[in-house]
Amino acid sequence: MINLVVALPAEARPLIEFYRLTEKTTIGSFRVYRHQDMSLVISGPGKIAAAAATALLAGNNTSAKQAAWLNVGVAGHATYAIGKSLLAHRITDQATGQSWYPPQLFDLTTTTACLLTVDAPENSYHQEVAYDMEASGFYAVAGRFSSHELVQCFKVVSDNREQSAATLTAASCSRLVTEKLDEIEQLVGALLAMVQDYNSWHAPHAGLEQLASHWHFTVSQQHQLAELARRWKVLMPQQPLWLEGLEKKRNASAVLHCLRQQLDSLTPAVTQETPASRV
Amino acid sequence: MFSIIYVEQQVAEHPRTQAICARFPKAARVSCDRYGEIFNPNAQDFRLQKRRPSLILAHKHHRRVLEAPHGYGLGGHRNYYFSHLLNCLYDCRYCFLQGMYRSAHYVLYVNYEDFGTDIDTTLATADNKPCWFFSGYDCDSLAMEPVSAFVQYFLPFFSRRPLAHIELRTKSTQIRTLLKQTPLDNAVIAFSFTPEEVYRALEHKVPTVERRLQAMLQLQQAGWQLGLRFDPLIYQPDYQVQYRTLFRKLFSQLNSQQLHSVSLGTFRLPRGFFRNIVQLYPDEPLFAGTFSDTQGMISYPQPLEQEMTEFCTREILQHIPESLLYPCTLAS
Ligand code: SF4
Repeated sequence: MINLVVALPAEARPLIEFYRLTEKTTIGSFRVYRHQDMSLVISGPGKIAAAAATALLAGNNTSAKQAAWLNVGVAGHATYAIGKSLLAHRITDQATGQSWYPPQLFDLTTTTACLLTVDAPENSYHQEVAYDMEASGFYAVAGRFSSHELVQCFKVVSDNREQSAATLTAASCSRLVTEKLDEIEQLVGALLAMVQDYNSWHAPHAGLEQLASHWHFTVSQQHQLAELARRWKVLMPQQPLWLEGLEKKRNASAVLHCLRQQLDSLTPAVTQETPASRV
Repeated sequence: MFSIIYVEQQVAEHPRTQAICARFPKAARVSCDRYGEIFNPNAQDFRLQKRRPSLILAHKHHRRVLEAPHGYGLGGHRNYYFSHLLNCLYDCRYCFLQGMYRSAHYVLYVNYEDFGTDIDTTLATADNKPCWFFSGYDCDSLAMEPVSAFVQYFLPFFSRRPLAHIELRTKSTQIRTLLKQTPLDNAVIAFSFTPEEVYRALEHKVPTVERRLQAMLQLQQAGWQLGLRFDPLIYQPDYQVQYRTLFRKLFSQLNSQQLHSVSLGTFRLPRGFFRNIVQLYPDEPLFAGTFSDTQGMISYPQPLEQEMTEFCTREILQHIPESLLYPCTLAS
């Protein structure tokens, strides 16, 4: 699952078309577009709007799985040429001075750069960084729902010292994003692969629900059951999470005892076969 | 090797920072106030980051030389450790660093001179008695040598302080710097091993057992004192065959008379670290077995632990005198 947070309709349009995000809903004042494992929200400009839109998508995710997050948009830069793309390796909120450092684990050609989130449009470009108005709001919220590696900001330079933001139009914003769809697609692919790995490592045993519906497990017993199910999944991946005669057990603690006994009777080798994605 | 190097502003102009950054001209240099901004946030995944860790260059302010935990050491009474580097180039699945740190980025403290000052301060309180300083506690001592030049700096330092003994603990074959220097009486290069089968399953990115042995042979020939570390001992149903084979391989080629020390200890982790690691690697067979929890330390059940320790001790003592053997206790 990946969530895109985009400030302007003009920035969103190429993405909506490219990813065929045809399911459209309006939640509060936010327009949300979906298709399969991707959602896109148009936040409107500013970090507070970006934070609110991010929280909205996060709240809509009822699954226990993590999602990847990507903020896409245009940005100013002192010296970068118009149309140059960048992935933020540091996001600083100008008002508070707080910084975030999205870990860069991808093998992509996109340049990485510092991004400064400002509260009002920046026209003087004092620092050698990219300027936007959403990233810090987006990152502060998305980073509370997903691991930081899965939260990224991708910007296309739309204005610089030579050419101010005053010349920007909706059409030019759309064109800048359209020209970078290949790079965005690569990044989206890398993020999706990463979040899929992450979720597959942490997927609970499919048989857990069945057990939980048969007996009442206290919260502490639920933790114990989850831990036993984890070991079961590794040691007996082909076997259902069940034992002969388990149905006769009167209560959850007898079930736990039974499963634990079975697992403790095994002598696992560290060399046993496990899925290739283990590392 | 690194696409990003984070640099604390305080060390931006440090010559070591400059030299390291010059080695990676293509890496983006990202400045930060304190490395903790990058290294410490909660919502990070060590396992994901291990795919492509970045380098952080920082200044170590306090607690540069610390007393080694009880049970860590080679018989001496004054055991200390110091960590110029946090995290490791390698990726051993049993490594406690995964459970201790949230981030897999490498933090390199470039103010070696301050570590040196603190080592001198520690020595000054020791009444002219020998002290041991262990360097491979939060990292591998040699693996990052081409970047850190740690050994290059500290060997001359220790050569001028005969009462200060240093252990460089490693699984690396980065021995070039050592081979260029005259061996020191007060330095031990200690190599860690597990059997071939365990190595293949758990010691990702680590040089093979054979390559490490070859590195040891070269060092031994050059006159360096060597140590062998079988810590952690990892259980396998046929662990006896595996460890016997490993011991025979190593001791048949190394000159046992010239070994400084051999230590061993079974797999054990503080409870909190163990939990963190299981969260990261729920699918790892190593953590799917049965463990006991004794006073916050997770280890194999006591009878198994005792059986393994006794077996390996017996086997090792067929090759070396007992005076060279140091068991690592549970508390370490
Ligand atoms: S070599 Fe040592 S420090 Fe490095 S990952 Fe392996 S156990 Fe950890």
